[in-house]
Amino acid sequence: MEREFLPKIVSFLCKWCSYTGADLAGINRLQYPTSILPIKVMCSSRVDPVFVIKAYLRGADGVLIGGCHPGDCHYQDGNYHTRRRVAILKRVFELLGLEEGRIRLSWISASEGPKFARVCNEFTEVIKSLGENTTKTTIFL
Amino acid sequence: MGEKIGIYICECGPNIANKVYIDKIIEKISSIEAYKNKELVIKNHKLLCSIDGKKFLEEEIKQNEFTHLVIAACSPKDHESTFINICKKTHLNPYLFRIVNIREQCAWIISDRDEATEKAIQYIRGSINRVSYQSPLEEKKLDSNPDVLVIGGGIAGIETALSLASKKRKVYLIEKTSKLGGKSAKFRKLLPRQNCNTDVIQKKLLDVEENNHIQIFKETELEKAIGFFGNFEVILKNVKDNNLKTELRVGAIIVASGFKQLNTSELPKYEYTQDDDVYTSLEIEEMCSQNGKVLLKSGEEPRSIALIHCVGREEKGYCSQICCNYMLKIAQYLEQQSSDIKIKEFYRDLCLPNKDDQFFLENLQNSAIDFIRIKDIEIKGNKIKYIGTDDTKKEIEVDMLILAPAMEAEDGATELAELLNIQLDETGFFQEAHQKLNPIATSTDGIFIVGAARGPSGISESILQAQAVGGEILTQLIPGEKIVPEVKVSEVLEALCKGCQTCLNVCTYGAIYFDEDRGISVVNEAICRGCGNCMGSCPSGAIRSKHFTNPQLYQEMVEALR
Ligand SMILES: Cc1cc2nc3c(=O)[nH]c(=O)nc-3n(C[C@H](O)[C@H](O)[C@H](O)COP(=O)(O)OP(=O)(O)OC[C@H]3O[C@@H](n4cnc5c(N)ncnc54)[C@H](O)[C@@H]3O)c2cc1C
Ligand code: SF4
Ligand code: SF4
Ligand code: SF4
Ligand code: FES
Repeated sequence: MEREFLPKIVSFLCKWCSYTGADLAGINRLQYPTSILPIKVMCSSRVDPVFVIKAYLRGADGVLIGGCHPGDCHYQDGNYHTRRRVAILKRVFELLGLEEGRIRLSWISASEGPKFARVCNEFTEVIKSLGENTTKTTIFL
Repeated sequence: MGEKIGIYICECGPNIANKVYIDKIIEKISSIEAYKNKELVIKNHKLLCSIDGKKFLEEEIKQNEFTHLVIAACSPKDHESTFINICKKTHLNPYLFRIVNIREQCAWIISDRDEATEKAIQYIRGSINRVSYQSPLEEKKLDSNPDVLVIGGGIAGIETALSLASKKRKVYLIEKTSKLGGKSAKFRKLLPRQNCNTDVIQKKLLDVEENNHIQIFKETELEKAIGFFGNFEVILKNVKDNNLKTELRVGAIIVASGFKQLNTSELPKYEYTQDDDVYTSLEIEEMCSQNGKVLLKSGEEPRSIALIHCVGREEKGYCSQICCNYMLKIAQYLEQQSSDIKIKEFYRDLCLPNKDDQFFLENLQNSAIDFIRIKDIEIKGNKIKYIGTDDTKKEIEVDMLILAPAMEAEDGATELAELLNIQLDETGFFQEAHQKLNPIATSTDGIFIVGAARGPSGISESILQAQAVGGEILTQLIPGEKIVPEVKVSEVLEALCKGCQTCLNVCTYGAIYFDEDRGISVVNEAICRGCGNCMGSCPSGAIRSKHFTNPQLYQEMVEALR
């Protein structure tokens, strides 16, 4: 029998909000799929678009970027920069004929454990419906 | 030198032990081919953060002389610092240690024990990979200057200076006018209960002038400020004689530049000239404290007066918070002046948030003052057209009008913000580091904001903030104590930088400057907070955020993508 497809989702979480939100999801014993691989960064603005593309080309089925809500970034306006960069990145994905739906930016505060779990569950379902990312074997850079 | 990595898995009592198979983790990690060139020591412990656990860990690190350390336990929020402190007691640089969160983000979110075990292995592998790519970072200790510069000699600046001087801290207080006290020195009486008159303010003015820890510079402004928390170099200039300059070194700077009232000529609905008997609230306060009473330009006593709240509130988009309060105060001056004056108070909403306010209002409501709630209002000279809450339009004429214009940031706030590299928010007042969590700090370490400079506030709030800042500085900037700036900062790689200066524009802290000679951007490590925004922005990949480098994150990531 074929094993159910379990996506690989690289999740960049800012230390101050979304990483703490993820901790809270754990403290509340909320369940979400093992598809999520959290990578802590100081601020969501640290995530450079090239690195996201790299993750994608290496075979990540999805990339989640978690930051503080607008206005709440620990570094004032980092997440506004993130928002702009992710918007551009999505455009680049479209232009290259890649699926921009595999990238997701979410604002998750330190107190939003349930939201973190929900985003993980939802995004995993979205990626499941898109299927495996095959660029790893079809695109060479 | 070969790598020797210590890997310690904490059971956290039953918290982790009952959720994953620790023996399976150890077995799996020990048998991974890819690690054959590294020497690994893998052990588990019941409770690493306990006294026993910490002792055990310290001895293990010393005995084994690890080059790197990985601890799989709880969230870094809980005990990363505990384990960093243990590293510091040994030879191991804390930046060669990594904590893996297998509790909150693994054991507690996956009910299937096999799956959780797999996940924990994946996380730990990612960290073993990553830790090999980490570099030791050294904390730098910098000398600091404990002296403080306060900009603005209103009540907020005065109180800050006094609270610092009370602990013998040297304070330089600069005021651009020739008088200390700001607006508060101009009032006839003070809210909330009116029973304290301005003596309390005058007393503070005397205290400041006489305090030998406070050096006052009147008619003085800031010309230049460079540096960072603990080490600012500032130049002051005399406003009358720009060649008269003073250079100072301070450790912290406080902005207490206050507010001004909106210029009503900017508002088309309020049409009047200098000849009309139309005054701002501040003009009335000054008139009252000089003459003891309110008089018309003709010298006669007015028979009818309209007080108009919320002048420019809609246009500015915020409530000035204190005007409803002081308009009631002015109404009371008038009422006490003569029972013959007919007073009409035009308001939209009444903002009376303090615990004494309601009591004060009720007293006035029992008097002859006519409170009229309106939807809109226009004035032309001493004629008023207004729309009531029942949508009826009415017109009246009065002898005198008193306006409560919105509070705005003082003139020069933009220039001051630029000099200090801090921000104004969309209302034009100085912006807090964090509105909720850090409301008196700014985006630059060591620069604080107090009083009406940070937004509409009354005297008691201004004093509260001033005392808070005083406390903050007395605990953060201690004479003789060194300052440890953030270690996990960013750096520009000279060979890759194209000089485009994109990074310069994204850094909120102004930590990056452009080196014209070399044609590259450079990070000032003493100011950088390590957010990594510049790294995310650089189109040439020329920035490296220490401890969050691309190779480091990549090593963590590949584990997920295997
Ligand atoms: C009509 C009226 C009545 C009021 N009545 C009351 C009341 O009864 N009770 C109450 O609690 N509050 C009252 N308030 C509010 C009160 O005025 C403020 O809370 C208070 O003035 C705030 O103090 P501050 O020091 O922050 O600002 P300010 O009083 O504005 O003082 C700022 C000082 O900084 C100086 N300055 C500005 N920029 C610079 C610069 N770049 N360099 C050097 N110096 C600079 C200014 O010259 C000024 O001296 C009233 C306000 C008004 C308008
Ligand atoms: S170190 Fe963390 S995981 Fe270990 S016992 Fe303490 S709290 Fe639990
Ligand atoms: S963005 Fe990059 S290339 Fe441009 S100046 Fe900054 S470091 Fe140099
Ligand atoms: S890491 Fe952040 S604070 Fe440091 S230079 Fe870059 S953008 Fe500025
Ligand atoms: S710190 Fe969370 S987005 Fe900047």
